[in-house]
Parts: sequence; structure tokens; C-alpha cells
Amino acid sequence: MYSYYFRLGVRSLRRNPALTLLMLLTLAVGVAASISTLTVVHVLSGDPIPAKSAKLLVPQIDNGPVAGYTGTQEPKDLQMSYTDAANLLRSGQGRRRTAMYGVTLPIESPRKDLPAFNATGLASTRDFFAMFDVPFLYGQPWSKADDDKGADVVVLGRATAQRLFGNNNPVGMQVTQRSTPYIVVGVVDTWAPLPRYYKLIGGDPFGRAEEFFIPLNNATQRKIAPSGNVSCEVDREPGFAALLTSECTWLQFWFELGDASERDALHGWLRNYTQDQQRLARLKRNAPVGLYDVMQWMEKLKVVGNDSKLSAWLAFGFLLLCLVNTVGLLLAKFSARAAEIGVRRALGASRMDIFRQFVIETAVVGLAGGVLGLVLAFGALNLIGMQSTAMAAVAHIDWKMLLLTFVVSVLSSLLAGVLPTWRACNVTPAMQLKSQ
Amino acid sequence: MTFHPILSALLRSKTGPILVALQVGLSLAILANALHIVDERRAMAARPSGLADEHAIFSISVRDVADMTPELELSAMKRQIDVLRAIPGVVAVANVSQMPLSRSGSTASLALDRRQTRESAQASMYIAGDSLVKGFGLRLIEGRDFLPHEVIEVNLSASMKIPAQGMMTKPLADKLWPQASAVGRTIYFGSGENAQAVQIVGVVERLQSPHAQAGPEAEQSIVIPARLYGAGQGSLLSVRTEAGQRDRVMREAETALVRASPMPQLIRMVTVDDDRNARYRADLALQWALIIVSVLLLLVTCSGIVGMASLWVAQRRKQIGVRRALGARRIDILRYFIAENLIITSCGVVTGLLLGVQLNQLLVSQLEVAHLPFVYLAGGAIMLWILGVAAAWGPAWRAARISPATATRGVTQ
Repeated sequence: MYSYYFRLGVRSLRRNPALTLLMLLTLAVGVAASISTLTVVHVLSGDPIPAKSAKLLVPQIDNGPVAGYTGTQEPKDLQMSYTDAANLLRSGQGRRRTAMYGVTLPIESPRKDLPAFNATGLASTRDFFAMFDVPFLYGQPWSKADDDKGADVVVLGRATAQRLFGNNNPVGMQVTQRSTPYIVVGVVDTWAPLPRYYKLIGGDPFGRAEEFFIPLNNATQRKIAPSGNVSCEVDREPGFAALLTSECTWLQFWFELGDASERDALHGWLRNYTQDQQRLARLKRNAPVGLYDVMQWMEKLKVVGNDSKLSAWLAFGFLLLCLVNTVGLLLAKFSARAAEIGVRRALGASRMDIFRQFVIETAVVGLAGGVLGLVLAFGALNLIGMQSTAMAAVAHIDWKMLLLTFVVSVLSSLLAGVLPTWRACNVTPAMQLKSQ
Repeated sequence: MTFHPILSALLRSKTGPILVALQVGLSLAILANALHIVDERRAMAARPSGLADEHAIFSISVRDVADMTPELELSAMKRQIDVLRAIPGVVAVANVSQMPLSRSGSTASLALDRRQTRESAQASMYIAGDSLVKGFGLRLIEGRDFLPHEVIEVNLSASMKIPAQGMMTKPLADKLWPQASAVGRTIYFGSGENAQAVQIVGVVERLQSPHAQAGPEAEQSIVIPARLYGAGQGSLLSVRTEAGQRDRVMREAETALVRASPMPQLIRMVTVDDDRNARYRADLALQWALIIVSVLLLLVTCSGIVGMASLWVAQRRKQIGVRRALGARRIDILRYFIAENLIITSCGVVTGLLLGVQLNQLLVSQLEVAHLPFVYLAGGAIMLWILGVAAAWGPAWRAARISPATATRGVTQ
């Protein structure tokens, strides 16, 4: 019976093409607007590393001055000072740990025909690659010895390696950065999680991927200035050495736990650490220690901006309007079939049969609207992608959103069809037959 | 024109009118809020930056590939400025620490008194080795520009000295000294005994911060006269050209700088126009999205009204025929349907006003949107009334043309 109803549904769509087109367009536009804005919010708020997101944690230590501290205010910058970062790196807490800051250096290749160019990269410890599951195309991260020593080694991003060395394996070759030769030890495969959740502060979290990675100790020994946010709430002496000892915050730190249950233990350890530092009169404020996992950190730094949420809400309001409109159109469509329903009922169909028939017909409208809505949603996402590089990277439909398009479309039309279907079921056969 | 028969006819079959009224209400609520947000963003993007002619200014960032000592950096910067000044069509060149609208820059905490523990204001800090009044074409409204001997040279690897004079924007001056002139007054960078004192010598009308935030912080800027070098990051120079000459000067500037330097350099040029477009690109996109949704809203509502009205006309053919046969004129039928439509639209508008206020309160509390002024709801209501009448006109006109003969036609044996 259901396949018959399905065919009836398709046929009824063809009966009044103008009405059908209007209904489908209305539904499709509403679905397209909602799905395209929802896709953006979904991608922005998606978990970038589901297997580990509860085990990667950011500690937040407030090292601000005590003058003017009210006891409850948030620190201006959520990054970490070098003293704290170095102490935490040495602590051995958690399974792994890493600290990082952004650097911008001119890179010269050994090829004389290629001019030097400015490259943005990251100075971090070698655990960074294991912690964030960074895939390697050639080679591997630098050794622990190189990490501790701060050797002149570099891991290149894939695009940079391509630019400098073409398709050859560059491991062991040399690049010059700021007059210093660096040995290439590895090349990272295409890896660009969006947003760049491991380094959300300073720079565009949706911008280009890192072009190179150097050891943190190398960057600090060679006095490479941070390229990103540096926040100093107290005066500091000039020079890079003074930056290292000051309470300016400019590094971002991550712990990786063996298991998510170790979190409380880590929090306890951090509290003890800050109390020790307060006793040493280095940390002045008696402020709580923050510890955030990946999703909490993205929430705290408002990765999903208000604009995206606003667009999504208004789009759903628009979908609601389209739904109400569809109710009216379905009412009109079904009321024209009153005679046909009367005949069916007179021939012995129960209310349930009529109900099933019209629910299937509504679902057919929903499916057709979903197909059209999907096409329109692609167009809408293209338009959204023109907004900024962030949006261009984010505005893509994955299979989950594809499925959701059809679910939303069918559910919407079923919801819109509740009243008209109920009306159709209540058609009294006698009235219809009499007017023939 | 009595409304009673229209009302009683509507109340008999309520579903249709309720659906139309609901559509009108939803449309009004969303439309008013959407248009309000579009207006807000447009106003924000239209704010002037304070630069005299944005189309004629661009910035150059020059960096040597090899490492340089601070002294070499300073002499390189001076050489670059001389080279750029020599290009025909250049009005002024200034070494500056940041460019407005470039989304990259620094801020400073300012205090009125050394003993304060809280800052009095946070201002965007422009550190300029040459006159910004000439370099940006800023409008000086009080006091004077810096004198040549007031500009200090600061080697960042050795010192963090702040010059003794400064210049600020009028909004910042009004915030710090509400009724008085800022000229001659002293401000402190940071607080505590070591806070450095800066005396204000001039006030400019406007200079936006690099981030051009939505709130009043965007207009709070301070300029201090210092030529910074020794940080290993190269120099940032702002070039102001005569009107229409910018693109030519940009090309000549690149070749001139490359020719003047013996070592390979990295040169990057960005126009203020590009910076402005990049800064407001997302806001513009949101405006377009909201406008498209608003147009679609009106189209959907219009189609809903047209659909419903046509349906009622079709259902009441006999009734209209009878009325015409009994003596009603065409204009009476027309007026009947328009009045019916107006009643439904008005109910919808009232619903929409309530929904619109509720929606706005939700947006204010959750998404930091501004409060909705009543004029948008009023304007939206008028728009929907006009739309309603326009949409119902077609079906009403067709209803009026139904001939009285249809009244008798149905009676067949």
C-alpha cells in the first residue's frame, strides 16, 4: 500500500505544477538557509580531535599584579609566562606536555633562483607532534637531545617543503633562517585543523597552516621575538632576556593525560604549584588555577562567533515562517481533494488509511523539498564562503549535514502537514458524495 | 463600510486567517531585527578612520633577510625613508609602529595619577618616528604637532624609554578630562613609581585603532614621538601620496627600495583600502545575508497572502455573485476583500510587534546585539501593511470582476 501512496504523492505533485513549485521552493529555501548556517556553526564548534579532546588540557595561571586586583576579575591574557612554562615543562606531570609560541622568520632556500620569503611558524617542544597527532610525510620530529639543546633543526610544512625542494625528500638538507643554517629533520603532511585549536590566541585561528616548526629552546636561545600576542601587565626591562624572566604572557601550554580521570590530580598539582610560587612571592594574586580541555578552551575563546550563531537563529526563524506558509499551501492542496477522499471513505477506507496516504504524500513533498534545498544550500554555502578565509575553510557540507538536510526537510513538511492531514481524515463521505 | 460581516465571516473559519496573521507576525519580528542589525553594521563600517584620504595611503614593511645590528637597522630605516621621499607624488612618509584598520597593534594602559591602582583608560598606542599629522593627514584641533627635538630614538634591545610628549584623540581626551582641554596635562603610562610621565601637546580629532572595535575603544588612541629600532623585525613605513597617484607610487617604491639596498630584503605593501575591506569583510557578508533573508521573508509572506486570498475568492464565487446580483458594485467587493486583508494583517502586525520585542530581548541577552529602537518595528509594520494590500489587490480585483450571473448559474435541476 505504501508504494501506491508514494506514487499517488508524486502524481499529485504533478497535478498542479504552480502550487507544487511554490510549495517546494518555499520549503527548499527555508531548509537551505537553516542548513547552510547550521553547517557553519557545526564545523566551527566541532570537536577537532575527538579521540583525545578530553585528555588535552590547557592550564591557566594568573600572574598579574596585585595592585587593583578585585579578587574576581579574569586576567587580560590567557597565555602563560616563560617562567611558568619552563617550570611546567620540567614538572613531568601528565603523559606529555608542550609549550609553544608563534614566530615569523625569513626563509632562504639553498636554490639561488628562489627569493627569500617571510614564513610563519611555531616554536614548540618535540612532544607537540605526538600530542596533536601530527602526520609526517618525510622524516620525524627532532630528537629529545636536539629538543633539550635547542639545536638548529627544523620541521617544514608540506607546502613550504614543496616550495623549497619540489617533490624531493628534503630530510638532511639545509635551509637558512635569519642567517643561520637549519637542518631539515622532517616534513609534516597536509595538516590544517580548523580552527587551529592548539594555538587560538594571537594570529588568525583559521589562517594558513604553520610553515615550519623549530625547537622552543632554539627560538629562545636565538632570541627570536614572539609573533603573536604579548601581554605585559607590569613594566619590564628591554631585551629578549628580560622578556624571559618577566611576567609577560606570550606562550601557550598543553598537557596530555594518559586518561581523562587524571584531570583532578593534575588540577591539584597545579594548585600546589601556584601556592609554592605565591610563597616565593613570584605570583602575587591569590587567583584560582584554570584547566580547560579542548572543547572548553574553544568555548572560552569564543571560536563560534556571535555572527554565526545569529545567522543560524534567524535562518531557523525563516524556516518557521516557511513552515507556516507550507501549512496554508498544504491545506489548500488537500481541500481540493475532498471529493476524492469522500469516495475512498465511502468505499471502505478507514480514517487511518487516509491518514497514512496523506502522511506519505507530505513526506514526498518533504523529500522533493530536501533535494531542492540541498542544491540551494550548496549555493548558500558558496556565498558564505566568500565572507572570509575562515568561512571559506569552514563552509563545506559533510555527510552528516547532508543527511540532516533531508531529515530537516521531511520533518518540517510532516510538521506542516499535521493540520491538513487531520482535516483530510475528518472529511465526512456523505457531504462529499452529496455534492456530486 | 461595516466591519461586522467581515469579522463574523473570518471568525467562522479561523484557520486560514490565523495562518496568514502568523506569517505576517513572524515576518515582522525577524524583519525588524534583521534590518536593525544591518543598519548597525553599516554604520560601524562607515566610521572614518581619521586619515585624510584613505585611498592615497599605503604601508610598506621592509625587513632584511639577514640579521642586522640595531645601528644598521636604524640607518637602513633612515635610508629607506629618504628613498621614498624622493619619489615624485609622495606627500609624506612616516615611520610608525602600527597602521589603523590593520588588525595588528598594541595598546597601553594610561593612568591620571601615579598612585592609582586601576587604569584610567586603555588606548591604542601609535609610536611614530615622523609626524603622523602629516603622514596620515590627521586633523589637529588643539595644541600643536611634535617638534623635531621631541622625537627620541629608542633602541629596543637596550631601552624601553617613552618620550616626554604625546598627542591623543579627542574622544580619549574627553574620557580622561571631561570638561577641560587636554593640552598641557600629564598622563602616565602604567602606574606605580616607575610609571613614565607624558605631557600632552596636541589633540587630534580622530584616529582609529588597528582593531577598529565596535565600541568606543576604537577611537581612543595616543601618539608618542619615538623612532623604534633594534627589535629585529625591520621597519614599518606609512606613505601618503597625492590623490590618484598611489598605485604608481607603490610600483616605484618597490623598485626604488630594492635598488637602494645592497642586501636582499623582504618588502610587503598593503593599502589602507585593503585593510579596511579585510576588517569589515565579515560584517558586509552578514549584512548581505540578512538582506537576502529579509527579501525572501517578504516574498514568502507575499506568496502566502496571495495564495490565501485567491483560495477564498475561489471558495466564495457564488457568494460574491449573489452580492453583485443584489446590487453591490465592483468597488464594494474590492473594498470588502481589502478590508478583510487589512484586519488580518493588523492582527499579524500586533503579534509581530510582541514577537519582535521578545526576539530582540533574546538576542540582546544571548548574542550581544544592540537594543531594538521602535522605529524599526514601526517601519516594518508599515512595510507589511503595504505588502498585504498589494498582495491582496490581485485576487480582490479578480473577485470584483466576477459577474452576477454566477449567482444563478449554480441552480440547475
